[in-house]
Amino acid sequence: MNYDELVNTTMEVGYLLLSNGAEIYRVEDSMRRIFRAYGVETGDVFVIPTCIFATVETGQGKPITGFKRLYTRVTNLDKVERANDLCRVVCYKKPDFQTVREEVRSIDQRPAYGFWTQVAAYALIAFSFTLFYSGSFADACCALVCGAAVRLVIDFMGRFSTNSFFMNIAASCVAATLALLAVQFGFGANTDKIIIGALMNLVPGIVITSFMRDVIAGDLIAGLIRFVESLLVATAIAIGAGVALLAPRLIWGV
Amino acid sequence: MEAYLPCLYAFIACVAFCLVFNMRGKLIFFTSLGGAIGWFVYLLLSPLQNDIVQFFLATVVITLYSEIMARIHRVPVTGYLLIALLPMVPGGGIYYSMEYCIAGNTEMFLETGLHTLGIAGALALGILLVSSLVRLWHACGDRTEPHA
Repeated sequence: MNYDELVNTTMEVGYLLLSNGAEIYRVEDSMRRIFRAYGVETGDVFVIPTCIFATVETGQGKPITGFKRLYTRVTNLDKVERANDLCRVVCYKKPDFQTVREEVRSIDQRPAYGFWTQVAAYALIAFSFTLFYSGSFADACCALVCGAAVRLVIDFMGRFSTNSFFMNIAASCVAATLALLAVQFGFGANTDKIIIGALMNLVPGIVITSFMRDVIAGDLIAGLIRFVESLLVATAIAIGAGVALLAPRLIWGV
Repeated sequence: MEAYLPCLYAFIACVAFCLVFNMRGKLIFFTSLGGAIGWFVYLLLSPLQNDIVQFFLATVVITLYSEIMARIHRVPVTGYLLIALLPMVPGGGIYYSMEYCIAGNTEMFLETGLHTLGIAGALALGILLVSSLVRLWHACGDRTEPHA
């Protein structure tokens, strides 16, 4: 049994799961199962949203440890689903490590929806949430533009690899400014409904649910990290929109 | 009928979120249906006159739906739960709290802010309850089955 290969391959599977938005317990559980499938009962794993640690003990009692640091996490449910399937297959069939790695690589290269599809999706989210929060149809059409702008700003800021706090401030500020302008020029009627619709793109709903699931599963550190993350995003959204709302009041005293 | 139109909007919003989070195939329909069902339950319970309880019960229904669908389709429950719960997230509450805050209306800011926190807590409690029950059920049953 090649223990180095085992640790490396398992880390790759864990990294694939975690970096695409799987919950902590799912990553830990999958990695442990893979260790056990290859006959290593002493494999231990510790995962938090920013790191993966894994240790196995060789037949001679020598520990082998792997460590991987994650800098960016995205939510790509298609990849999570495939990676989960891969884990099942690995546990049943126990293929050699080379095959597993090739499979990991092919999952990693699966296509995501294109950039303009995403822009359209952001616009659609803003559109439907404006209607959802009882805005008028005209408001929803303004929100279409604001939602698309949010995606464009995120993409633009992402090119300078700024932190996500500043990115959220900028995106929510732009969305709120556009909403104010739209109402000022008479395209929409309710500024608040348009802004809420556009900002639903940024609201950390994803983080809130996954942080609860982490806490339930007993991964308290991971839960804390995500909780702080969601607080930061919510603050950033409030600051961005607040600046946009406050600026005209201060300048023109509207 | 008019009153239940938001369910349709929630459905459309969930479809769009599925695109953002790169979900594929027939799962898009079933996940979005979860979001619509959740809001339908919320509206159905409106005679209760207590929106925190409404949010809690709607979350319970969504989480149950997600756990069941994930087992039927043999996919991780992650995607179902993440997306179907998004329409429940109190985006409006966050926005109005902020607006009261910058308007200097401290009383309304505190009231809206605490109410928003209450809704978030109701969501969390709903997920906690169902997920814990599902885990309990799992622990009593077959231990070798991987996580759905």
